[in-house]
Amino acid sequence: MNVADYLLECGEDERVALVADRSHSTYLDIKKKAATLAREILEGGAQPGDAVGLLASNSLFWIAGYLAIMKLGCVAVPFNPAAMPAELSAMVGFTGCQLMCLQRRYLRRFSEALPGDLISDDMPAYSDQDAALWNNLPELESDEQDAALMLTSGTTSSPRVVRVTHKNINANTDSIIACLDLTEAERIMVVLPFYYCFGTSLLHTHLRVGGSLVLCNSFVYPQTALDLMDAENCTGFAGVPSMYQTLLRDSAFPRREFPHLRKIQQAGGKLPPILIQELVECRPNAQIYIMYGQTEATARLSILPPELLRSKLGSVGHGIPGTKLQVVGESGEDVAPGEVGEIIARGDNISPGYLNNEEATSKKFVNGTLRTGDLATVDADGFIYIVDRTSDFIKSHGYRVSSQQIEETILQITDLVAAAVIGEPDLAAGEAIIAYVVIRERSQVSPDEIHAHCRQNLPRYMWPKEVIVVDSLPKSAQGKIVKSALRERHNAELARAE
Amino acid sequence: MNNMEEIIRTFIAEKILFSGNGYGHPDDASFLEEGIVDSMGIMELVMFVEETFGITVEDEELVPDNFDSVSKLAAYIRRRSPVPTGS
Repeated sequence: MNVADYLLECGEDERVALVADRSHSTYLDIKKKAATLAREILEGGAQPGDAVGLLASNSLFWIAGYLAIMKLGCVAVPFNPAAMPAELSAMVGFTGCQLMCLQRRYLRRFSEALPGDLISDDMPAYSDQDAALWNNLPELESDEQDAALMLTSGTTSSPRVVRVTHKNINANTDSIIACLDLTEAERIMVVLPFYYCFGTSLLHTHLRVGGSLVLCNSFVYPQTALDLMDAENCTGFAGVPSMYQTLLRDSAFPRREFPHLRKIQQAGGKLPPILIQELVECRPNAQIYIMYGQTEATARLSILPPELLRSKLGSVGHGIPGTKLQVVGESGEDVAPGEVGEIIARGDNISPGYLNNEEATSKKFVNGTLRTGDLATVDADGFIYIVDRTSDFIKSHGYRVSSQQIEETILQITDLVAAAVIGEPDLAAGEAIIAYVVIRERSQVSPDEIHAHCRQNLPRYMWPKEVIVVDSLPKSAQGKIVKSALRERHNAELARAE
Repeated sequence: MNNMEEIIRTFIAEKILFSGNGYGHPDDASFLEEGIVDSMGIMELVMFVEETFGITVEDEELVPDNFDSVSKLAAYIRRRSPVPTGS
């Protein structure tokens, strides 16, 4: 079934689907907006299978555009409005977007990076012909068709753009709804961006059950999220670790009552046990769902049932319905309790692969099995505990950051011989970015200059917290930098310093 | 001269934007709308206000009306500051 039809199937026309900028939109409002946008996109020349970009903040326009693109059998490509224009331009080219649904406020920042044809949020009024067009659009040829392309970390020379099919979204959405027991009574506060798979999963699940989404794009001021959560009687909240750090340590969240708040979701990295405990203590009437996932799995892979939060503290739980998770050793066999192996996953939510990147696809997706790159142990009950990561990215402030991209940028400074970027556990960021560099002999380049270079060439969430100059980096027999050894060394230094 | 506004502009330009060309936005430009200050920057801004002006910013006061532009922040600091701030 087309995701657009699947998501709009249950919401009653007159029910409030969306609260944004103090205005309420019903399911009928969303359907009308989507129908008008679908007509505009079609008039823009889009054909089934074409990639159509989406560059907007979380909004009615974003949601309607997303649904319209998929209903037409095109492929939605959500972009991050905080991206650097050069990077956006490269990704527009790589994904083949010739048409973009764009909020006008981003036109000036990205003017040089956009494709030629734009559909702005300054839209014509709805007419009944839009509905007639929508209702007569052809069915999907197959639910294995791509519905969306989700951008993740990866360098511009080797982008990792995840293909997400209609089947993937429908399957993962059904699973999450079952795990969280979501109903049409849900009103979720959304502070996560829709261009990020965790944010999109909130959209998918709450539309599918006919619930409501309350959008807050000002989490920079956490008080605004709290006031809105209160005013709109939100029943749910979802966030990444850095957001819980902010709520628990830098806002009035622990001291306020939220009698309607019943379901709290956490994913996007490891929430330190101390913060889980603080969350449980200040929200005794809420169910807290710790989850784990990847964009390559549409969104979610595992869940820790709330009633097991204390007894299995630190675990990410077990596979969600329809997804089989295993922790396997190098032989491919399940590890024994206490042994470390890699988490692999199978299910209808697993992406068919990366767009136009055969090499990365063949390493990550093996015979329909997703190699997550996360190392874990299992306990005697089969509950999974993540211990490390084989993949070379850092989870910082909810962003998946490519270490390689930072290293390549740093190495543009010709006085540097080598650079290795790792993550360091950080309560505020989840992981802070640490850059180790080896400087050419007799060179005068300083850490401050390296910081300045990063600021000029990378988005803020990729700036290293610290640049450390060393004489050498740990290497394997083949001469490859061994990041696990570097992390061990770094964490040992940190422990000594405390 | 609006000393308060200049102090704020300089801090944001140097410590948050790391811009060598000054602040570059009107005083009434929204930090949120223009992407001038994000979640990471806002906490640095709060620390700056507390340390520089001797104010304790309550959690409930970290709202757009008090913080979301140079002008609004200057007005907030003037209201809350225990020392004359030269408006």
